[in-house]
Amino acid sequence: MDSNIIIKLNNVNFYYGNNRALTDISMTFRKNKVTALIGPSGCGKSTLLRLLNRMNDLIDGTRVEGEILFEEKNIYDPEIDPVEIRKKVGMVFQKPNPFPKTIYNNIAYGPKLASNNTGDINTLVEQSLKQAVLWDEVKDILNQSAMKLSGGQQQRLCIARALAMKPDILLMDEPTSALDPISTAKIEELIEELKKNYTIIIVTHNMQQAARISDETAFFYLGNLVEYNKTEKIFTNPDVKHTEDYITGRFG
Amino acid sequence: MMRWRYLKQSAFFALVRASALIITLTLGGIILYILMHGYSVISWEFITKPPTDSMTQGGIMPAILGTIYLTLGAIAIGLPLGVASAIYLTEYAIQGRMIRLIRVGINCLAGVPSVVFGLFGLAFFVIIFKFGSSILAGSLTLGFLILPTIIGASEEALKSVPQTFREASLALGVSKWQTTYRIVLPNALPGILTGSILGIGRAAGETAPIMFTAAAFFTSKLPSSIFDEVMALPYHIYVLATAGTNIEATRPIQYGTVLVLVAVVLGINLVAILIRGYMRRNKRW
Ligand SMILES: Nc1ncnc2c1ncn2[C@@H]1O[C@H](COP(=O)(O)OP(=O)(O)OP(=O)(O)O)[C@@H](O)[C@H]1O
Ligand SMILES: [Mg+2]
Repeated sequence: MDSNIIIKLNNVNFYYGNNRALTDISMTFRKNKVTALIGPSGCGKSTLLRLLNRMNDLIDGTRVEGEILFEEKNIYDPEIDPVEIRKKVGMVFQKPNPFPKTIYNNIAYGPKLASNNTGDINTLVEQSLKQAVLWDEVKDILNQSAMKLSGGQQQRLCIARALAMKPDILLMDEPTSALDPISTAKIEELIEELKKNYTIIIVTHNMQQAARISDETAFFYLGNLVEYNKTEKIFTNPDVKHTEDYITGRFG
Repeated sequence: MMRWRYLKQSAFFALVRASALIITLTLGGIILYILMHGYSVISWEFITKPPTDSMTQGGIMPAILGTIYLTLGAIAIGLPLGVASAIYLTEYAIQGRMIRLIRVGINCLAGVPSVVFGLFGLAFFVIIFKFGSSILAGSLTLGFLILPTIIGASEEALKSVPQTFREASLALGVSKWQTTYRIVLPNALPGILTGSILGIGRAAGETAPIMFTAAAFFTSKLPSSIFDEVMALPYHIYVLATAGTNIEATRPIQYGTVLVLVAVVLGINLVAILIRGYMRRNKRW
């Protein structure tokens, strides 16, 4: 596998019971890039994202065909422990979902339970909050409940929480759709910054956002990968008419 | 038209209010009645001394202590077992016919008359396991009696923990068990306790399950181990009211004992409510 490639999907099909949600997807994700997944509601973006950290395992009656290679190994190989995959592939959800714990404990929770963590937790908490550009706002209230933060702060806390596990990849499922424009701008800036150290795969319904922050864009429709290319190319001169119609808002 | 609707609404409110009033009055009436008849015998002596003179004099201390032991024993057995079952049923089991069957079984168990539990305890714990009539046998019997209540309450409480908490934890690479133990269970605990209070009150108040498994007609000595039998408040009331040597003479003591039993049950509930209140702080989502 090319050293610039971190994840490779080969002919992946995914089923919820008898319903196929993804059809024969083959694609690669590049290291230290931001890849945006776009497409109309129900086209399978979240499903694809949740395949990459095996979160779909939690839903009864789902089935995967094909292979998804990460570090040369198929993450759906029976001998792979999904828990280990999730340590390396972090996730941020659409709705901020901090634990009902203190700010400090939200961050410390994962590393404390992950056996491979040896470093100093205090340093790690500080470092993660700084990376998520939240440190200055919360450094004096670390023992306050995370539920009292604003939505935008909560989302950055969730990003910090994921970063504290030192993942290689960060999956984000519409991370700003529940936030105001100022919080959204902050998170977008943050993503710019994070891609130096992480590979980011982000689902978004906001075309400007995809154009602003991503290096590559994949357009999905009804479980099929329609077009996948450099973001610039997708937004200026897409190969497929369907893609153009979607990004120009001609159909939803 | 408007007027008719308004009338209907007021009639409905009146009805609802009346029902609430009837319940309150009944409860108040019972408590008042017990208080009036019982309070005259309540004294420091009454709650700290054993009965004397064929139980027509003296206090009820061994019965109070016995009921506390049995209730705590029932909680110690019913709560972990019930919570563990509920965790299995809601968090781990693949929902299907088998699980539905188990749930039906649990509901049936809740409907089994308490005397049947008593006989089961007698046959199983007292005789087969040779625990004899003892705190252990009685606690086990009461523990099983309250199991369905605790399982039901715990399942509700576990289900009410937002799915997003589980997802957030699992997505960090925290194992399923750790997620259940560190995130789901702490957030469900106030709910588990709330529901379990009902079961705890029942354990303290039941007579039939302990009649054959734990309760002594009379013993002035206090239990020294979990293999000793004890007096217990509900059974003591039953004994005084039906089988004592002088039923009329013990009437005030009967009411006094009832009063103490009600106080103990309310006391246990109060403790559980306080614990719950304490745990609920900082747990808003
Ligand atoms: N838990 C589930 N059980 C069954 N079917 C599901 C489940 N989750 C998603 N689906 C189906 O799979 C398809 C893809 O859903 P998915 O959530 O991946 O879409 P999406 O592109 O993320 O949409 P949105 O933009 O609305 O979030 C849809 O048809 C949806 O109905
Ligand atoms: Mg989605």
